[in-house]
Amino acid sequence: MNNIMVLGATSGAGKTTIAAILCRHFTAKGYRVSPFKAQNLSLNSYVTSAGEEIGISQAYQAWACGTEPHWSMNPVLLKPHRGRGMQVVLKGRPLMDAGPGRPVPRDVLMDAVREAYGAAAGRSDIVVLEGSGGAAEINLADRDIANMATAEMADSPVVLVGDIDRGGVFAGLYGAFMLLPPERRERIRAFIINRFRGDASILGPGIERLEELTGVPCAGVLPLSQLRMPAEDSLDLGRDRGSVVGSEDVRQAWMDSLEQLYRMSRDHLDYALLESIAAGG
Amino acid sequence: MVDSGRARGDYWDKVVEYLSRPEGPNEGCEHYPCHHEGQDCTLCFCPFYPCHDPRLGYFVESRKGGQVWSCQDCLWIHRPDVGRDAKKLLWGAERPSYDELLAMKVRLELSHRARAKPLMVLGATSGAGKTLLVAAICRILADKGLRVAPFKSQNMSLNSTVTARGEEISRAQALQAQACRVEPEAYMNPVLLKPKKDDVSQVIVLGRPHRDMRVCDYYGGFTTGQGPSLVKDAFDHLARRFDAIVIEGAGSPAEINLEDVDLANMKTAELTDAPCILVVNIEWGGAFAYAYGTLMLLPPEQRSRFKGIIINNMHGSAADLQNGIEELERLTGIPVLGVVPHIEHALPEEDSQGLGGRGTGSVKVGVVRLPHISNFTDLDALEMGGGVSVQFIDRPSEVAVVDALIVPGTKSTVDDLRWLRRRGLDRAIIERRGQVPILGICGGYQMLGVRIEDPRGVESDEGGSHDGLGLLRTVSRFDAYEKKTVRVEGALVGGGEVRGYEIHMGKTESEEEPLFILRSEDGMRREGSISEDGMVMGTYVHGLFDLPSFRTRFLSLAGEGEANEMAMDHDAAVEAGLVKVAAIVSQHLDVDAILRMMGEGT
Repeated sequence: MNNIMVLGATSGAGKTTIAAILCRHFTAKGYRVSPFKAQNLSLNSYVTSAGEEIGISQAYQAWACGTEPHWSMNPVLLKPHRGRGMQVVLKGRPLMDAGPGRPVPRDVLMDAVREAYGAAAGRSDIVVLEGSGGAAEINLADRDIANMATAEMADSPVVLVGDIDRGGVFAGLYGAFMLLPPERRERIRAFIINRFRGDASILGPGIERLEELTGVPCAGVLPLSQLRMPAEDSLDLGRDRGSVVGSEDVRQAWMDSLEQLYRMSRDHLDYALLESIAAGG
Repeated sequence: MVDSGRARGDYWDKVVEYLSRPEGPNEGCEHYPCHHEGQDCTLCFCPFYPCHDPRLGYFVESRKGGQVWSCQDCLWIHRPDVGRDAKKLLWGAERPSYDELLAMKVRLELSHRARAKPLMVLGATSGAGKTLLVAAICRILADKGLRVAPFKSQNMSLNSTVTARGEEISRAQALQAQACRVEPEAYMNPVLLKPKKDDVSQVIVLGRPHRDMRVCDYYGGFTTGQGPSLVKDAFDHLARRFDAIVIEGAGSPAEINLEDVDLANMKTAELTDAPCILVVNIEWGGAFAYAYGTLMLLPPEQRSRFKGIIINNMHGSAADLQNGIEELERLTGIPVLGVVPHIEHALPEEDSQGLGGRGTGSVKVGVVRLPHISNFTDLDALEMGGGVSVQFIDRPSEVAVVDALIVPGTKSTVDDLRWLRRRGLDRAIIERRGQVPILGICGGYQMLGVRIEDPRGVESDEGGSHDGLGLLRTVSRFDAYEKKTVRVEGALVGGGEVRGYEIHMGKTESEEEPLFILRSEDGMRREGSISEDGMVMGTYVHGLFDLPSFRTRFLSLAGEGEANEMAMDHDAAVEAGLVKVAAIVSQHLDVDAILRMMGEGT
C-alpha cells in the first residue's frame, strides 16, 4: 500500500486541488485510489449515499478517483457556528458542539482518524492524503491532528505546497520546512509552487536556492488556473474562483475542470518524481 | 566660524521685514517656488543663517575664494509648522545675537526635527495589511504632534489618484497622506507601475508618465539604474520637510529570485537607513512559517534592520498564539510588537486581491470584472449608506439579474472590449438597455460608445478602428501617447455637486447631452454623456460616487431610491475609518517600542 500526503504552507495554498490532481493521475494509471483528509474545517459539506456528512472537498476528490464518497475519507469535520463554537462531525455523524470550555478529546479524534485511514487504505492501492491549514503552526504543534500527526500515523511521505500568487512563497516554504522538528522535516520529499502567473523561468534562481537550503527538490510550478473548484471556505470568496466550464451539472463541471487542469499539469509537474515518492522511493 | 562675523545688521532688517508679511506660500513672489511647490514663505530669509548645522547645509567654495556656508538644499524654515513657530519666537526680539538665534533654533528643533526619522513596514506576502497598518501608524504619530509623511518607493497598482498639482500617485499613499493630515504629493510614491497587459506596465515617475516598460526591462534595468537615486532624492525631499516618514514595502522582501534587482523593499530600507518591521497576515495560516522564512532568507546585514514583527488580521483570541510567538522570538531574536485583530472597515482597497462581492444590501450593482480593471475604488462609496451590494461579475447570466450595471475603468480598453465580446457580455449588457441604469467609467465609457479610433496603435498593439457597444453616441480617439491626469469639480446636470479626478489617455466626442458641467480655470466644460432616456451614462470622472448627488441619482434609477442612502461624504467616511483603524492598532501594538525605534521618547 502506497501513499502520498499534500500539506500546505498556508490555508488555501491549493492542497485540495493538487490532491485531486494526484487522485486523477493515479486513477488514470489504473490504481484504486482513495482520498483522505483526517480533519476538515469547513461549512461546505456533502452527504454520502449512506447519509454520512463529509467535507465537500473529499467528495470531489472521491469523484476524481471514480469512486463514491465515503465517511472514511474525512472522519472529522468541524463546522464553525456563529460565535466561537463548532459542531464536531465524527465518522459522518454529529458528535457534539465543541467550544470554549467544551474541548474535543484528542484521543477520540485520533482513534477515528486511525480507524478511517485503515478503512480507506484497505480499499485502495494508493491513498492521497491532504493536510489542513498551514503545516507548521508552532502554536498548535502539540494539538495538531490533521497534518504531521496524520502523516506519522499513516507513515506517509509529504509534498509541501506554497501559493506564489500572494508573494513570499520561498519564505513560506522555507519557514514551514525549518519550523518542523528534524524528524518531521525528513518526511517532506518535494515542494510544489502553485498559482504562478507569467514566465516560470524567472523563478529559477529562487528554486535552486530553496533546493540547496533544504535538500528537497521542487516537483514543479503550476500556473494559476481560471477553473472553478468547490470553494472550501469563505476565504475563497475574496479570490478569483474562476468560472464553471461546460455542463449545467456543477459536479460534472468540476470534473471537466479537473480534467483540463490535470492535462495542463502534466507539462508542469514532475510526475515521475511524485510517483516514486508515493511508492516510497 | 567662517562667515558669522560679517555684519548681521542688514540681514536682521530683512528678516524683520518678512515677519510682518502674511504666512504661507507667497505665490505672488517672482521667485516662487524657489524650493518646491507649496513651500511656506513666512520666513523668506532663514533667520538662523549661517547655522553651520551639518544636517542642513555645507560649505562651498566662494567665488571670491575661501568658503561660504550654503543651505540651498535646506527646506526646514519653509515647513509651515517651523515657519509659524519661528515667527512666534522671533516676534518682538530685539536684534538677537548670533548665539541667541542659535539657541532659538535649538528650541525649535525640540518640536520640529531637522531631518525626519524613517520607519519601514514590510510584508511577508502581498495583502499582509501593510497599507492600512502604515496608515494607522501615520495617524498615531500625527496624533502625537509629529509632522508625518508616507512613502512607498514603488507601487504596482491600477488604483491611482491625482494630487492637487496633477501628479498621479497610488491611492494607497493618498489615503496614508490623509491619515497624516497632509496633502498627497508625488514624492510620497515616486514610482508607480500600472500593469497594462501580460508583462508590460506603464511606469509613472514622480507623478508623470515615464514610459511603458516590460517587466524584464524594469527589473535590472530601471531598478538598478536610475531607480535608486530617484527613490533616494524623493525620500530626501520629504525627509527635509517632515519629522517622521513611514515607509511601506511592496510584496515580500524575501523573493530570493529577485533579490539583486528589487528596489521597493530592502534596497529602499538601505537607501533611507530605516529600521524595519515585518507584518504577517495570520488569516491564511502559516504566519509563523512566513515570518521565520522571510527573516531567515535575508542576509544577516538586512535581517539586522528588523526591530519587530506584527501579526495582523487575527480572528479570535490572540492568547492561542502565545507559544508560537515565544518560539518565533526565540528563533529570530526579534520581538513581536503586537497581534492586531481583524478590523472591519470601509477604507479603499489597494489592488485586485481585495476584489469579491462586498456589501449585503438589496440593490445589486453589477460591476463587470474586466481583466485590467482599474480604479475600482470608485465603487467603495456606493456601499456606504447600506442597502447596496457591489458584485464583480463576468457572466452574461449575472448581467441579467443585477439592478444596475457599471462598466468600470480599464488599463486596456481594446483588449478588454474583445474579452467582453468573447464572453457574450456585450449582448447581455445591450439587452438590459432601458431596464437598468448602465454607467461606463473611463475605459468603460469608451466601450459604451459607437467606436474607438486608434489609428496609430497608441492604446493597443495593432492600430485601427474598433466598434463599441453603441449604447452612447460617442466616438473615442487615441491620437497621441498623452495622458490626462487632473482633479475636477463641478455640477451634475440637473443639480448637485460632483468632485473627482480624471486619469485617461484618449478623448471622447459625444452627440449626447453632458452628464456633468465641470468648472476649470478656462471656464465651464461639458463632461460625460447621458442618453435621452437617462438610463445610459458615461464619464471620465473617477470618484463620481464620492459625493451623494450622483450616487443618489444613480441608485434611484436602480430601483430602491433614496430610502437607505445617507448623505454621507466619502471623505468623512474615510476619516471615520482612519480614526477607527488607528485606535484599534494603537491598542494592540507596542507603540512605545515603535517610537523608540524612531528615536522618539524613551
